[in-house]
Amino acid sequence: MTVLYDLAVVIAALSLAYFAALNLVYLVFTAIAWRSLARHLRARGHAADDEVFASPVTPPVSVLVPAYDEEPTIVQSVHSLLALRYPEHEVIVVNDGSRDGTLERLQDAFDLVPVRKALRVVIPTAAIRGVYVSRRNRRLWVVDKVNGGKADALNAGVNASRYPYILAIDADAILEEDSLLRVVRPIVASPDLVVATGGIVRIANGCRIDHGRVVDVRLPTSRLAILQVLEYFRAFLIGRVGWSHMNALLIVSGAFGLFRRSLVEAVGGYSSETVGEDIELVVRLHRHLRERDEAYRIEFVPDPVCWTEAPESMGQLSRQRRRWHRGLGETLWRHRRVAGNGRYGVLGLAAVPYFLIFEFFGPIFEVLGIPVVLGWWLLGDLSGVYLAGFLVIALLVGVVLSLAALTLEEHSFRRHRDGRDIARLVRFSVLENLGYRQLLSFWRFLAFYDLLRGRRAWGEMSRKGFRTVPEAPLPPA
Amino acid sequence: MLELLGISVLALAALSAVFLVALVLKRSRLAREEQRRETLEERVRPFALALVDGEAVELPELSTEERAMLAEAIGRLSRNLTGDARGRIGRYFAGTSAYAAEIAALRGRRVWRRATAAYRLGDMACPEAVPELLRALEDRDADVRAAAARSLGRLGRPEAAEPLVRVLVDGTVPRALAFRAVLDLGPAALRALRGLARADDPDERAEAAELLGWLGDAADDALLIEAVGDPSAEVRAKAAGALGRLASADGAEALTEALGDRIYFVRLQAARALGQVGERAAVPRLLRQAREDRFEAARAAAQAVARVDPAALLDAAAEPDAGPHLHEAADLLRV
Repeated sequence: MTVLYDLAVVIAALSLAYFAALNLVYLVFTAIAWRSLARHLRARGHAADDEVFASPVTPPVSVLVPAYDEEPTIVQSVHSLLALRYPEHEVIVVNDGSRDGTLERLQDAFDLVPVRKALRVVIPTAAIRGVYVSRRNRRLWVVDKVNGGKADALNAGVNASRYPYILAIDADAILEEDSLLRVVRPIVASPDLVVATGGIVRIANGCRIDHGRVVDVRLPTSRLAILQVLEYFRAFLIGRVGWSHMNALLIVSGAFGLFRRSLVEAVGGYSSETVGEDIELVVRLHRHLRERDEAYRIEFVPDPVCWTEAPESMGQLSRQRRRWHRGLGETLWRHRRVAGNGRYGVLGLAAVPYFLIFEFFGPIFEVLGIPVVLGWWLLGDLSGVYLAGFLVIALLVGVVLSLAALTLEEHSFRRHRDGRDIARLVRFSVLENLGYRQLLSFWRFLAFYDLLRGRRAWGEMSRKGFRTVPEAPLPPA
Repeated sequence: MLELLGISVLALAALSAVFLVALVLKRSRLAREEQRRETLEERVRPFALALVDGEAVELPELSTEERAMLAEAIGRLSRNLTGDARGRIGRYFAGTSAYAAEIAALRGRRVWRRATAAYRLGDMACPEAVPELLRALEDRDADVRAAAARSLGRLGRPEAAEPLVRVLVDGTVPRALAFRAVLDLGPAALRALRGLARADDPDERAEAAELLGWLGDAADDALLIEAVGDPSAEVRAKAAGALGRLASADGAEALTEALGDRIYFVRLQAARALGQVGERAAVPRLLRQAREDRFEAARAAAQAVARVDPAALLDAAAEPDAGPHLHEAADLLRV
């Protein structure tokens, strides 16, 4: 009994220490993000985007779209990608053995014809069944292959790409017209130094979409999706800006990431061994470059926007978060040598330890900490006043961080023009701390079970499709 | 301990309140500002358009805020204009307080202000700003240098050509911007480029050769043909690309010879250029390159044949040893 009691005290103490340290890190990152974003906003006054657009030596980009059962959204997404304002880009959709009508929808919309395309087989992939080019827009290619998973589809896209940079993007995503031009900005500024960049992912549920463009930014009607809007603000505007500032960005979102192709090929492409192929690739790139003592940067750019559909049901969100957590765990395990290793600089000494302790093991502290602290209180060893104090502090810290992210968004990009949306987000800044965050921790906790079981599957993610303006026909591609 | 908890709760509650107030104030201030700007812009826009169009217009008494908005509106219009209209914009700004303020800011301490000033001076279209902008090309901050390069291109003065090519070569200004700036100079840059095409530094020769492909004419053929035999592979490749862009028939022989270059990216550029030149005599060698060369060079050769002699491509693609690049080019031809 004493041993159990001691263990409970240790867990409670660790949970409190974890809580204090994590929030301290968040507060520091909030300060960094304010500074970085202020600089970024000032730079908009002299950003030469028009000149970059008009320059014949702006690097051309291959946009890779892995698609598996994406029938409801694929045509809209491809329209938006072809309409990107960029001097030279191609769009390569990789149909990864879809069981629905993804390929047929593309064929109908873009008049695809088969071509015996020469493919560089730099990275091995599942068998290619055929390659098509659009008769309506020669910049659109479709690679049809046997199902091999997202990483395999991306690798097939890398093999099919012509240009020196690849932009990996989710098939259900919509890029804003200038997003590519903006996400490429750090590469234009320092092509020898910057090897990868990522932009911000925002939630499109509730927004009005017209011909592959978000024309009216609105909050979703689903409460679960609104909570994710806030969560994305925090993750991107605070977390990624902070890590990017330290050149220790571990995640370039799979939904919207630009990479130097030759480097992706040099490290062997995306890994099919993990469901977190985006984070795993970025960590591998960091390792590859640091082990060779090469100067490089991987940057987050806060203004290019990628709109994506967020899950609106508990089941889907739970599966998504368990999968993300599994991907993180697999990546950290695969690159465990980096943790605490001074050879990898800030990556080994700060980023990987942070992700290991706070992001990966965090759910253990969060899920076990709450009952243990409550038990401690029930046993009478923790006063009710202290317990209430800690709970209020936990709530307030969460509120402060969300409000900080919301204020940052309002100060910088102001995408939500309707004041009622902001009022709802403020309300949800409080509400999310009363159940939602704990639920996320629980789902991430369950991912440990998946990891122990050796689960590899992605899980289903059904799409509702975007809310579109219905009346007008699609323009010619 | 209890006190500490109490203080923490109060501090966090206060911080929440601060963010909330900041959020509300920021939102209402930005909304007001946006509305005021819209009203101001609506008021000054007719004057801006009249000035740009060269209409005789008498400006009414404007407040400082209105003058700033007028300058901003004219500056924005200036980005899409060339020729006489820009000349009128330059004459309007010369001697104004707005121009003087930007020149002063260009020498200021704050980086973002210097960069913004360098950028705005390009929109103001005053050639008098060139010396200051040339000085800003050597600023310690990359953003200021980039904005100065962009503005020098917009101003179109020949004296900016050589400094711009130098920043292009030494990489102190992003290549895409510096390259665009030289192109914006137009024919005014030609004299400097022709000189730099014979510079000692191979990087300068390479950039000059590539830019001549965009800005030059038939008079540059000889220079570029000579450059296809340069000791530097970079120069050879860029010169080959330039001959293709100029569609130089005189360059066809040198380009065909360059198909045998030991460096693959020279072969790639030569193949691409031969496609642009339309050199039928090179088709057999291009077909061989399409079958045997490295991936990108082979693809360029197959595509060149598709442009020059589609029938020959279709015949070659039907042969058993055609290879993937000829197949692809033939299929694309049929699309």
